[in-house]
Amino acid sequence: MSTETLRDGEAETASRGLVDRIRASPFLSQLLSNRLALAGLAIIIAMLVIAVYARLTLDLEVISRSQLGTNPNRAAPSLEYPFGTDGQARALLPRVAYGAWYAMLFGTVTVGASTVLGVGLGIVAAYYGDITDNVIMRTMDVLLAFPSLLLALALVSIFPDELGLWRAVAALTLVYTPRFARVVRGAALTVLENEYIDATVALGATDPRVLVKHVLPNCLAPITVQSTLNFGLAIIDLAALSFLGFGASAGTPSWGLMLSNGVSQGLLTGVWWWSFFPGLFLALTVLGFNLLGDGMRDALDPRMREAVD
Amino acid sequence: MFPKRFVLKRLLLLVPVLIGVATLVFSILHLSPGDPALTIAGERASQEFVERIRADLGLNDPIWVQYIDFLGNVVRFDFGESYVINRNTTVREIMANTLPVTLELALYGQLFGILFGIPLGVLSAVKQDTLTDHGTRVGALAGISVPIFWSGPLLILLFAQVLGVLPTSGRISSTFSVSPIRVTGMVTIDTLLAGEWDMFKSAVRHMLLPSLVIGVYSMALISRMMRSSMLEVVRQDYMRTARAKGQGAKITVLKHGFRNALIPVVTIIGIQFGGLLGGAVLTETVFAIGGIGTLLVEAIEVGDYPIVQGTVLTFAFLFTLVNLVVDITYSYLDPRIQQ
Amino acid sequence: MPLPPVVRERGRLVAGGAAVGSVAAPILVVGLVVVVGVGPLAAAETAFAFGGLWFGLALLGWAGSVASGRAIEAAQERLDVGSGWTERRSRRAMARIGGFGAGMMLVAPVIGTAVG
Repeated sequence: MSTETLRDGEAETASRGLVDRIRASPFLSQLLSNRLALAGLAIIIAMLVIAVYARLTLDLEVISRSQLGTNPNRAAPSLEYPFGTDGQARALLPRVAYGAWYAMLFGTVTVGASTVLGVGLGIVAAYYGDITDNVIMRTMDVLLAFPSLLLALALVSIFPDELGLWRAVAALTLVYTPRFARVVRGAALTVLENEYIDATVALGATDPRVLVKHVLPNCLAPITVQSTLNFGLAIIDLAALSFLGFGASAGTPSWGLMLSNGVSQGLLTGVWWWSFFPGLFLALTVLGFNLLGDGMRDALDPRMREAVD
Repeated sequence: MFPKRFVLKRLLLLVPVLIGVATLVFSILHLSPGDPALTIAGERASQEFVERIRADLGLNDPIWVQYIDFLGNVVRFDFGESYVINRNTTVREIMANTLPVTLELALYGQLFGILFGIPLGVLSAVKQDTLTDHGTRVGALAGISVPIFWSGPLLILLFAQVLGVLPTSGRISSTFSVSPIRVTGMVTIDTLLAGEWDMFKSAVRHMLLPSLVIGVYSMALISRMMRSSMLEVVRQDYMRTARAKGQGAKITVLKHGFRNALIPVVTIIGIQFGGLLGGAVLTETVFAIGGIGTLLVEAIEVGDYPIVQGTVLTFAFLFTLVNLVVDITYSYLDPRIQQ
Repeated sequence: MPLPPVVRERGRLVAGGAAVGSVAAPILVVGLVVVVGVGPLAAAETAFAFGGLWFGLALLGWAGSVASGRAIEAAQERLDVGSGWTERRSRRAMARIGGFGAGMMLVAPVIGTAVG
């Protein structure tokens, strides 16, 4: 009967193989033909590998502790210390590698938290409409109008100092939430306009069910694009807050803090490796996310798909 | 031709913006935990001293009375004296010294962004999907991916330490004294006005790296916007027709299209000015230029509320003013707006 | 003298918000006194600051929509994922939110003076 045919159809889709299915999706095929986006993806994967490797093999306590007396102080990059050592004789290579873990971890938490908050607010605004929609979205709009770093600076002072990097995470989560809410609301509205939602509601589906089963899956593409684009920004802003003294506490191997050290103490003495290596990793990671996110955005936007003849 | 009414209307918008920002700042400071009087007096201060500060600041009045007083102060741009950073100096005085510094930096950065961003965006659009296009796009993405606090130090190390051709930090060589010739507070302009050629050269050399570092971000954003907007114009029907007519017509139309493509780009320059102010905070820190950005960071760190209030309101004022200038440019490009 | 329809419409939005705000203020005050256990005057002051938050936000949002609404629309279309933001809708919502905040800020001092 009808269930039988459905099952057949499913089996067929599965057997068509990955390549065919990718070809069938304009978004994925467009994305995969974009070499820049693939390069971005490669950078991200490489950084993830470094991050996880550093987390599993390095002892945070050891690389945070001063190594004066054990290692040479302020040593330039050499075979033994490929990234050199810092003012407390700590080898920079493991610290920079561990910084990748910090960036990925805190970046993920920041983007994840603002995605969840933003998706919730955006979907609720779209579904209930009218006053709920207006109040939520217009508040978001105002927050959106502030420059992200300045707003984060204003918010960071609300949270207590002891939170360290989590303080920066909390501030940035609030800063980014409006972007997600806006995108999700837009996408959810288009879904809700489709008649089948009306039909589902008429059949007696309750609110949360409609939201989770029908609206959310259809908003996934724009959410993913926004998350990717925002990931790069989150990593750079987290580092910037640490750089300005509102993030990681002293000794923590975060890129922002290492760069702050490089500027405040390494510039006049010409100790270039204090700034160079942490910044290189930071810039590469951000570039990776921006390349991928930009490619995704183009793949999603039909206006971009149609090339000029 | 000059839209007087339009400008007046936009200037009036400054009133709600400033009252809005002032109300927000006021409310946040009151809702956030902590006693400002205690912060000023310090942890170990005597009870009497804290009480005296509280009375001085009017903290014993009900909040609505304080709010009205505060709005009155905002109108006169009078936030009293700094508590911590620069005791016994009025916030107004501190602002007068630091604001031109940041303004100068932001203006040169913006100039750099426009001068390079627009041509790059056009080039990228005209040569769509060629190597030039890809190169420009990757360059633009790299521009927004490289943090100021990395490109800044690297440029300093290269040009100041290794090559020794540019100064490391500050705004002008310490052998010069700019205070006697101060007019605008922006060193490159003041030295030029005074006709001090050597001082002017020194100021420009100091300005070069900071404005490059801060301008790259604007450049990246403007070129991306320009490319996308130009492509959109090129795709429009009349452009297709023109292209069908041949190469000569194509160039004429590209020129015409450029003006239309510029409209959305001009608008983004205004919004993006806010990001530029954020970038100024970082640039000032890297190059040891004491502007309003570093002042804000320091004031937040130590809890110097009058300075925080003054800085935030100044930022809002600047942002609105820049957007006014952008709007006037916009109405010139697109005369329909003036009605 | 009859008011122009635009003013009447805005006025209705603001007044509607203010009505909600003036009802919300006493509720918030009572809630703070009962649940958190602060004094009534302090509760009224908090309600005032809370109203100020919305009032300030709305004022800023309204002015921002008027001043750079076009810019926001243009930027979203090209650099970001679109969402159908429009200047007009934003201004109307801001009038409502601003009215809410202003309502709270007007009623809170009355409560404060009455109980203090």
